[in-house]
Amino acid sequence: MHSEDEGGDEAEDDDDSEADEFPEIDTRSDSEDGDAYGSTDEEEEEDEDEADENEDAGTDDDDLRIYPKPKTVISDITGQPKRVYPEIEPDYDSDSSTEDTPNRVGKIPMHWYDDLPHVGYDINGKKVLRPARGDELDKFLETVEDPSAWTSAFDKNTQTDKPLTEEELDLIRRLQENENPDAGYDPCEPTIEWFTGKGKEEAMPLSGAPEPKRRWVPSKWEKQKVMKIVRAIRQGRIVPNKPKTASAQPQFYAIWNDEPSNVPAPLPAPKPRLPTHAESYNPPEEYLPTDEEKKQWEETDKEDRERDFLPQKHGALRLVPAYGQFIQERFGRQLDLYLAPRVQRVKLQIDPNSLIPKLPSPSSLKPFPVYKALQVSHDGHRVRALSVSPDGAWAVSGDEDGHVGLWEVMVGKEVKRWKFQGKVGAVEWCPRADVSFFVVGMEEQLHFIIPPNLPTPVLIATQALLAPATLPPAPATLPPAPATPSPVKWVSTAAAASSSDSPILTLNLPPSSGLPKQIVWHRKGDYLSTVSSGEGQGGVWIHQISRRHSQAPFRKVKGSIQLVLFHPTKPHFFVATQRYVRMYNLAEQALLKTLTPGIRWISCMDVHPSGDHLIVGGYDRKLCWFDLELSDKPYKILRYHTRALRAVHFHPTYPLFASSSDDGAIQVFHARVYNDLMTNPLIVPLKILRGHAVAEGLGVLQVRWCARQPWLVSAGADGEVAVWCS
Amino acid sequence: MASTSAETSHPVVFTTQTAYPLPTQKFMIPTSWKRYQLSQLVNKALSLPKPIPFDFLVRGEILRGTLAEWCTEKGIGEEETLDIEYFESVMPPQKMSSLPHEDWVSSVSCQLLGYFFTASYDGNVRAFDYSQKLLHSAAIHSAPVTSICLVPSSSSSSEHLVASASHDLTARLTTLTLPSDSSQPVQSQTVASLHLHTAPLASISANSSGSHLLTASWDGLIGVWDTSTPTSDEVPADEPTERKKRRRVEEDTPRPKRKAPLSVLKSHTARVSKAVFGQESAAEHAYSCGFDSTVRVWDVENGVCMNTIAASSKPFLDLALTPSGSSALVCSTDRTVSQYDFRAAETNITASTASLIHPATPACIAVPPAGAEHQLLTGAYDGVVRLWDLRSTKSAVTSFRSWDGTEKKGKKVLSVDWARGVVGVGGEGGVEIWRVGEGEGDRVLPS
Repeated sequence: MHSEDEGGDEAEDDDDSEADEFPEIDTRSDSEDGDAYGSTDEEEEEDEDEADENEDAGTDDDDLRIYPKPKTVISDITGQPKRVYPEIEPDYDSDSSTEDTPNRVGKIPMHWYDDLPHVGYDINGKKVLRPARGDELDKFLETVEDPSAWTSAFDKNTQTDKPLTEEELDLIRRLQENENPDAGYDPCEPTIEWFTGKGKEEAMPLSGAPEPKRRWVPSKWEKQKVMKIVRAIRQGRIVPNKPKTASAQPQFYAIWNDEPSNVPAPLPAPKPRLPTHAESYNPPEEYLPTDEEKKQWEETDKEDRERDFLPQKHGALRLVPAYGQFIQERFGRQLDLYLAPRVQRVKLQIDPNSLIPKLPSPSSLKPFPVYKALQVSHDGHRVRALSVSPDGAWAVSGDEDGHVGLWEVMVGKEVKRWKFQGKVGAVEWCPRADVSFFVVGMEEQLHFIIPPNLPTPVLIATQALLAPATLPPAPATLPPAPATPSPVKWVSTAAAASSSDSPILTLNLPPSSGLPKQIVWHRKGDYLSTVSSGEGQGGVWIHQISRRHSQAPFRKVKGSIQLVLFHPTKPHFFVATQRYVRMYNLAEQALLKTLTPGIRWISCMDVHPSGDHLIVGGYDRKLCWFDLELSDKPYKILRYHTRALRAVHFHPTYPLFASSSDDGAIQVFHARVYNDLMTNPLIVPLKILRGHAVAEGLGVLQVRWCARQPWLVSAGADGEVAVWCS
Repeated sequence: MASTSAETSHPVVFTTQTAYPLPTQKFMIPTSWKRYQLSQLVNKALSLPKPIPFDFLVRGEILRGTLAEWCTEKGIGEEETLDIEYFESVMPPQKMSSLPHEDWVSSVSCQLLGYFFTASYDGNVRAFDYSQKLLHSAAIHSAPVTSICLVPSSSSSSEHLVASASHDLTARLTTLTLPSDSSQPVQSQTVASLHLHTAPLASISANSSGSHLLTASWDGLIGVWDTSTPTSDEVPADEPTERKKRRRVEEDTPRPKRKAPLSVLKSHTARVSKAVFGQESAAEHAYSCGFDSTVRVWDVENGVCMNTIAASSKPFLDLALTPSGSSALVCSTDRTVSQYDFRAAETNITASTASLIHPATPACIAVPPAGAEHQLLTGAYDGVVRLWDLRSTKSAVTSFRSWDGTEKKGKKVLSVDWARGVVGVGGEGGVEIWRVGEGEGDRVLPS
């Protein structure tokens, strides 16, 4: 709503209709001058009070508007002021929208049409022809004839002279008289005393002090502050117009990154017990209490009752009465919540890896056998008996076909072979160094064989030991006293007639004693003990070579004896029954201790060369390590085999032991034993040697270490004897 | 050169220690070339009248595939110049003949031109000629013979002295008369038995002049003997064995004289598995290895141990000296063959300069008598004889399997001997004769 528009488009209408009233406006008072539309009707209708006049004065910018100005009157009905618009006369003058503006070219430089016969186009697109304009004489005449000619101006749009409206003339007049061009401006407005005047006097005048200097002198500390900022900007400490990326972009952070607080988490409330079938309004019959139960329930104290209600059966839910215990139960629940012991059990934060003992790596525990260097075949017969000579150079193996082979450990060439009738149950070299022979355990017989190619002194000593020329063996062969009727017969060949082809000495064990399962030598090589599989007396015999005497150490034994062992240093004797290992003192003939390995059936046993440790293997896949100083219970139970254990053996010098099993594998362990009693033995699994085939459920039946070298000899049920080298 | 092909090529400088040097210049070799093309290139470049196959060592490793494969495996760029050394390649071994034995053969010797001597576990020493004919079988020992050695003699007579070591705690000297006329039978006579050891003997060896013998035994002793035949027993006979001996003496007319050692070398703490004399330059030295993981150098004259190379937990099974005599090759039960340099061993204790890793226990070593400094043969318990080049320790140059096709499991090789391109392999399956190496043996080998 600019006055230009009005001046352009609407002025015509106005001056058409209200040209006559122009002088009236001039004469009017200032307070009423803006009322351009003030028709006589309106003025007559409304008595304008002062407030209206003021409002008119404030809004007389609008007096040039084309729409009628509202009047604010007090409504008779509501008593509130309301706006009243003048009536609209529905004639042609009332609405300018129906007026046709002849030229519709718009606001363009009109000199574009200077050379054309028309000045534009009307609303229908017809050309508006240029009106005829007279020459200067006509103009002059017109000014003479027309009194309003001097108040008209040239309208470029229509290319005609148009008389100026009275508002325009008034504006021109004000400009000429150096007045304010705004018609509504009243330079002599009356003062409205808002704060002063009668009744509004201030009790205290604001200030009578003269204006202080600081009001008009530039502030010094402001300058200082500004200079501080300026300096900061110059030095770069403040970067103006710095892009506020930090705040402009959304900030993300992982809410789980925070350390979990140490404050205990809010404890969950104890959960109420869930209802069961007994709480049902229509429980199954078995939940309903019998009369006795009802009576018993009623007789017991309230605290002692198992449940605080009696199950009742109702035919329909609507028949269920109100729960009589409701208040009590709610109260109990509140007590539960209030008095519940909110103790939080702290879980132990233990790294499971820290529980694994720190074991040295196997590569640092070399040497130990790692590969199968060679193997000696027994033509598929099960090899149960195996022994390595005390110097570690020769091995003897006996199979179930009765063959006993003597072969070099490092080459695997069988240099001598003996054939016996029946199975070979056990083979064992005599541990003595000055003599050299081995014992073959056959069915009810023990054969003592001298290997070939012995140096002469050794051969002589061996022959002298096994077949003494004077034959003193009175106690065994000729029973002089009925007190010791030893049923064991010692039969030896004469030393001169003996050769390595046949046994030089044969022990005939008592009949039906069965196959000797085990032959063990005492460390000094004078005693050997045999365990036979036959019934009666457990089949345990201790033979003394020098006295050619045999005796059965146990008259009555609980359980069947599986294995025996001599203690390497003390006169102790280990006897393994199916479940227990008993340790006897042979000198005092007393039971020292009973070891309980917790194995259902003991299959093999060996004692550490130091004599303080014992390993026991069982058919139930367990291997128990006993520290004899420590306890009757195993120090460690190793369960690494998947089938029954068959043999265990300690290396005589290296800290190694091996176990063999029916799963066809041999496991080699590092077993370091410390001299001080405080340190526990260190057992490290080193290597699983696979290479033996499992034949008819039987795997590796015997393992023996080579003395002086970390080599292992193993005999399998597949008829192979293998040497494992480091 | 032939670098005109469109494919990528590699700058290469050829060096050699053979008598066929190329000019030192950079060749651009296509990376797809293999040994064959390289060998052809050298042959063409030298315009050799008779083509000689060469093998190529790229940075000390024998080239097996193409150059590109080698470079990608080693991560070597195309711009780097490669030093390639070449040497005359070893012909693939050819099996010449087989000498069947009933028992295992513990030792074989092919040092004498035209004959093979074998020692077997049945106690016999056998002589074969090149037409695989058994010339003679002498039951020298009653126990398995573990080692045999032909004592070199300067005279070219038909009498040869054979030394054998056995499980029966003695070594014996036997004269074999090999007549030039093949119609006449070979005579053998055991002239002396060497009595020292109290355990089975592991090896016997003679020095190059044939004057002295060394025996190594399981009892840790090394006996030094001369080869002269004693006129009378130097060692009194043992009583219990006398009877057996006498019975055998009745068959062989002259009883072997019992001979005592010149000196005994004691320092090994376990079984001595091999003792040999040094080469001509160090004939007064002896070298031995044993199960106590040591290699010892002995001054034979004074009978003292001069030098000890101690390894850790390597029981040594066999020892051979390199042709230059400066280092020893020993095989141990941990499946390695190690090379110990004696000169380096004087400064630092265990200086294993090379270690050849075998898949099975190597039981025996043989080095060529002369010439090829870097080559050695090893026989292992898996029945495979491998030819190694010490410059390429990753894998063997070539290998062959003795007594092939009989079983899946190989038969053990217990002895190899290598002379004049002929390799005798003795072991579980008897003896096989192979031709290995460059062709000096062509003249003497039967067709």
